[in-house]
Amino acid sequence: MLISRRAGLGGAAAILAAPRLGSAQLASRTLRFLPQANLASLDPVWSTATIVRNHGLMIYDLLYGLDSNYEARPQMAAGHEISADGLTWNIRLRDGLKFHDGEPVRARDCVASILRWSKRDVLGSRLVALGEEVSAPDDQTIRIRLKKPWPGLAWALGKPSANICAIMPERVAQTDPFTQINDPTGSGPFRFRRDLFRPGDVAIYERFDGYVPRSEPTDFMTGAKQVHFDRVEWRVMPDPATAGAALQNNEGDWLESPLTDLLPLLRRNRDIEVGVINPAGNMGVLRFNFLHKPFDDLAVRRSILSAVNQRDFMDAAIGTDRALSVVPCGVFTPGTPLANDAGLEVLSGRRDLDAAKAALRASSYDGRRIAMMSATDMPVIQNLSEVAADLLRRVGFNIDFPAMDWGTQIQRRTNRGPVEQGGWSVFCTTWEGLDVSVPGSHQPLRGNGAQAWSGWPTMPRLEALREQWFDAADQASAKRIAEEIQRVAWEEVPFIPLGLVRPPQAWRRSITGIVRGGPALFWGVRRA
Amino acid sequence: MWAYIIRRILATIPVMAIVALFVFSLLYLSPGDPAAVIAGDQATPDDVERIRASLGLDRPYLVRFGAWTWDILRGDLGTSIFTNLPVSTMIQQRIEPTLSLMIVTLILAVTIAIPMGVVAAWKQGTTIDRCVMAFAVLGFSVPVFVVGYVLAYVFALELDWLPVQGYTPISNGFFPWMENLILPAVALGGVYIALIARITRASMLEVLSQDYVRTARAKGAAQPSILFVHALKNAAVPIVTIIGIGFAGLIGGAVVTESVFAIPGLGRLTVDAILRRDYPVIQGVILLFSFAYVLVNLLVDLSYTLFDPRIRY
Repeated sequence: MLISRRAGLGGAAAILAAPRLGSAQLASRTLRFLPQANLASLDPVWSTATIVRNHGLMIYDLLYGLDSNYEARPQMAAGHEISADGLTWNIRLRDGLKFHDGEPVRARDCVASILRWSKRDVLGSRLVALGEEVSAPDDQTIRIRLKKPWPGLAWALGKPSANICAIMPERVAQTDPFTQINDPTGSGPFRFRRDLFRPGDVAIYERFDGYVPRSEPTDFMTGAKQVHFDRVEWRVMPDPATAGAALQNNEGDWLESPLTDLLPLLRRNRDIEVGVINPAGNMGVLRFNFLHKPFDDLAVRRSILSAVNQRDFMDAAIGTDRALSVVPCGVFTPGTPLANDAGLEVLSGRRDLDAAKAALRASSYDGRRIAMMSATDMPVIQNLSEVAADLLRRVGFNIDFPAMDWGTQIQRRTNRGPVEQGGWSVFCTTWEGLDVSVPGSHQPLRGNGAQAWSGWPTMPRLEALREQWFDAADQASAKRIAEEIQRVAWEEVPFIPLGLVRPPQAWRRSITGIVRGGPALFWGVRRA
Repeated sequence: MWAYIIRRILATIPVMAIVALFVFSLLYLSPGDPAAVIAGDQATPDDVERIRASLGLDRPYLVRFGAWTWDILRGDLGTSIFTNLPVSTMIQQRIEPTLSLMIVTLILAVTIAIPMGVVAAWKQGTTIDRCVMAFAVLGFSVPVFVVGYVLAYVFALELDWLPVQGYTPISNGFFPWMENLILPAVALGGVYIALIARITRASMLEVLSQDYVRTARAKGAAQPSILFVHALKNAAVPIVTIIGIGFAGLIGGAVVTESVFAIPGLGRLTVDAILRRDYPVIQGVILLFSFAYVLVNLLVDLSYTLFDPRIRY
């Protein structure tokens, strides 16, 4: 057995500090996780930040969960019955569910949670539009009556992407959805220790002994959520190089977002494993402002398509390791059920810069200055933006590429004015793969004008197809609609997909049982 | 003396008021909106507006400034927009690591730099002097984060003597506390060692050429006594001044050092708050830093009387 020098040097001190032996035992039952960002807020309905969603998935359970095929299965729900006309859902809760304060989970808690979530989430807003009644006829039954059938309701309630439909106690869920909750009492397999929470430093979770796991085997967000650690510590390290060094030095067990440059170093370390646990990853997106010239002109948007080389974008974003990105990438996340190759040759065929230049010259573009926003503090987005800026210049755009941080960019995005009034023309970002795997939550495909995502396109054909997808009776018809959506997307160009980034994670080999399928999850994980 | 101290403390009030006004106005005018950050990518403009309203960010400038000032006067620094925790609690959580880092760095810098500067002045023009000055140039030239990464690589990853990152409160024991602070303090201290050593050398060279030093030598006083008793005391005023100025630099340096070594201090709190536009936290921390800076300047001014009896307040 190898004993490190530091451990050896510390030996004498350890003898003098016998009480600390207890803390060593605690350490073996503690998982030290190095998250990708600082957990600042605690409300996964109020905030859409990925780190807050991950926190939410630890301490809250959901009525449904997605399995590794991205299909919804009952989680807190024992099951449901749908009326013959498809308008009424009666969802039954499992027996024995408890909140972290020991109170039983009742249907009215779920109703309050669903109503709060529905006011913030993109799919939740459909429930607001279609819902005639969300009620609790008894403690075990949630009744949802709709104006028209919605086969995807369980998927919406179980999707793990922000905003999640976190089940909270009724008293907490009655908080205005635009105000952050103060009480982190949850329903999930981990209990949050708010008293030990130091934002920017550490967030501590303990196993909730009152949690009743399902009996089926774990399958991504479904099945048994068995917890094998007494405690999970999220230790925030703002510098990714330091976080990588901490993992190598056994000061952390699991690093959520290793620096791409450090991957070769981590892979050479015999104690560390590097892998992709979220195959749905994040889709790179080039988004236009449809309210102003030049991108209000379809011909200008389409002129770029033949010059876009998704491989260039992916190499810049995540490096040349082919396991970490997917191209060609259509408008739906590659590897998910609705991904298809309808018309994909517009991005996968021969790249032709001259054709793009000629198409731009033939369009209404008059050489005006366009503003491309980029967030310098988001490395993947910044790298995508650098490639996009270079591409747009080569195609013939007169581009202004101001540096700004994420906070500034996200505010400037809300400006609907022209560039001269502080507005913008184009930007790159990434979308969580699960969000853009189905039309319902696929914001870049929305064409509902002023209510659409930044850029505000009006595209009635896409909106009509989205409605058709909601009504699709089966997966085959959903897929046909998805193919049609993709064909229309190439014609109207609401955005340009730049490829799928599959960010790797790194963990010490002493950690096993990591659940694959999406974000970092902490059930099933154990120390070997 | 006491009248002077009271006058100086009273003089901090308008200074703090100006800082408060300046910080608040700057944040008000700077781009970025915490409501947009909270609402995230998917939010509609209506969502952002509703969050702004719930946070009170839609109120006019004067109303917001008035409310904030009133809270400050009552000793309430406000509540973080994101964590929902009182700013004073967040500062309380973060002040110990930063103070520890600053104190250890200053002790390290002073105990190394002053003897280095004294010896360099004594051995002016020799190899020792040139080595000290070369070190000083190096200390100024190499960025703190580069020194930090090199130290972490050598002493943590390669030699496995010290941890890469983190902070252990002093209540958990002196050695665990020190273990986490050695590398950051050395990384941050390099610049200050260089700065203080150069000033000490320059100040000592001036003093060593004075008549009374020649007289002391003529009387047969021992060299250490001449250097450290007679000369250093008279060279101390500029050295103490630069240590005081260095304190302000330490605040800035701590931001980088705390990030490199993942120390949960005030520097990182400030950066995180700025990136998220967490206005109450930014305002609270900057007020605290300003107050600390004013206080250190007062202490430096008062310390002059210890070294130079001609100075009276």
